[in-house]
Amino acid sequence: MHIPDGLLPASVCVAGYAITGGVTWVALKQINKTSNPQVEVPKAALLAAAFFVGSSLSLPVPPVSVHLVLNGLLGIVLGWYAWPAILIGLLLQAILLGHGGVTTLGVHAVMMGIPALLAGQLFQQRQRLGKSLPPKVALGLFSFVAGALGVGISVLIFLALVVFAMPSTLDQSAERGFLTALMVGHIPLIFLEGIFAVLLCFFLLRVKPELLER
Amino acid sequence: MAVSLHADVYIPGQSAVHRWAARPKLLSLLALMFAIATVRHLGLLPWVFGVVGSLYLWSQLPLTYVWRRLPYPGLFIVAMVGLLPWISGETILWQWSILALRLEGLQAAALIAGRFVAILTTGFVLLGTTPFLSLLEAMRSLGIPTLLTDMTLLTYRYLFDLANQLATMRQAMQLRGYGHSRQTLQRHWGWLAALFGSLLLRSYEQSQRVYSAMRLRGYGQHPPRAMTTDAGAERDSLAWPTILTLVAAASVVIWELSLPSL
Repeated sequence: MHIPDGLLPASVCVAGYAITGGVTWVALKQINKTSNPQVEVPKAALLAAAFFVGSSLSLPVPPVSVHLVLNGLLGIVLGWYAWPAILIGLLLQAILLGHGGVTTLGVHAVMMGIPALLAGQLFQQRQRLGKSLPPKVALGLFSFVAGALGVGISVLIFLALVVFAMPSTLDQSAERGFLTALMVGHIPLIFLEGIFAVLLCFFLLRVKPELLER
Repeated sequence: MAVSLHADVYIPGQSAVHRWAARPKLLSLLALMFAIATVRHLGLLPWVFGVVGSLYLWSQLPLTYVWRRLPYPGLFIVAMVGLLPWISGETILWQWSILALRLEGLQAAALIAGRFVAILTTGFVLLGTTPFLSLLEAMRSLGIPTLLTDMTLLTYRYLFDLANQLATMRQAMQLRGYGHSRQTLQRHWGWLAALFGSLLLRSYEQSQRVYSAMRLRGYGQHPPRAMTTDAGAERDSLAWPTILTLVAAASVVIWELSLPSL
């Protein structure tokens, strides 16, 4: 789901930056509501670096292997800090690896960051919404949904952008076929992200439960 | 590990582009990148390449710099637009069996690829001639919140460290048998989740030590350090690269707007 420079029209890139500016303002406002936001800065920065590095891991799904996006998990672990973490991760990704781009950074941040925030907020609701369930079941269920939702919404935004970027000369049936293939191709990834989120949350529950509490 | 490939993004030098103050350079080159993104006419690409090529030559960055970095992101653009000449458009240029090369698709692919190369090369000029720290200072002086710049600096600082830690952990896992014998998929995934979870734990514990060290050095007890850049020196030091780049960016936009809409 990398959108390189030059693919999207300038108006979409500018709109992406405008939305990113707005969401950054909201996220920083929420972060500044905490008693001492600076305490969390090193933690969020190092966990962001760990997510950046960890996204290079590939999960074997015979006969191929799949790279995970991990934005839902970022939302689970970092909450509102997931937004600056994703923004920084995408900037470094564009600079160091050439994935994505500088003009498409805003669009990328919207595509990855907003779903991460939604996933994080949903995961935090597990105490309230899942109180009728046993704690472990609630954790498993909400981590799966949050992990899958993060990448699921990103895929939908990505597809909308692809539709927008497609040339008008493209044959309608070819366009439909391409979009269907793209959507079907991402469904296994959505489930994998959910399963991986469950595995990781149970691991953290065993060894460092405070990482799941915000 | 992929992240270590391009750790040497900045190439020291003495060119006018290297000596250009970071703040106007960042703004001017971003304006040029966005101006290039507005291009919708293929006929404008030679002018765009002329501008970007001149800028690259002016920066005195070696050609190997761009050749080494272009192919990897280039694969993404090829993957995204490679099919267009075969499926988009009605004017057939060449046909063999069911394969038909179409003019409109070819033009769309060339336009996207052209914009991609031009924007990426402009980005290389920015990153290749400006130290990362100067870029962050420029961003902070432009009003980017301190929390974001602090986080960026820390993430960048520990990125390579964590990449090395992950490589060591993976090696240890392989030495203990991961990937050598037949294991169920569930076991594979469980191991990878534990590997990633351990990396998160290490980062978390390291962040607590980092925060203690930062507090001891006064972090959070004083307002952020003022920019060391001397505004007068910045104004005097090569104002003309800013003017030339902004004129070039404006010329691209004006030319694009003056052409009939597609």
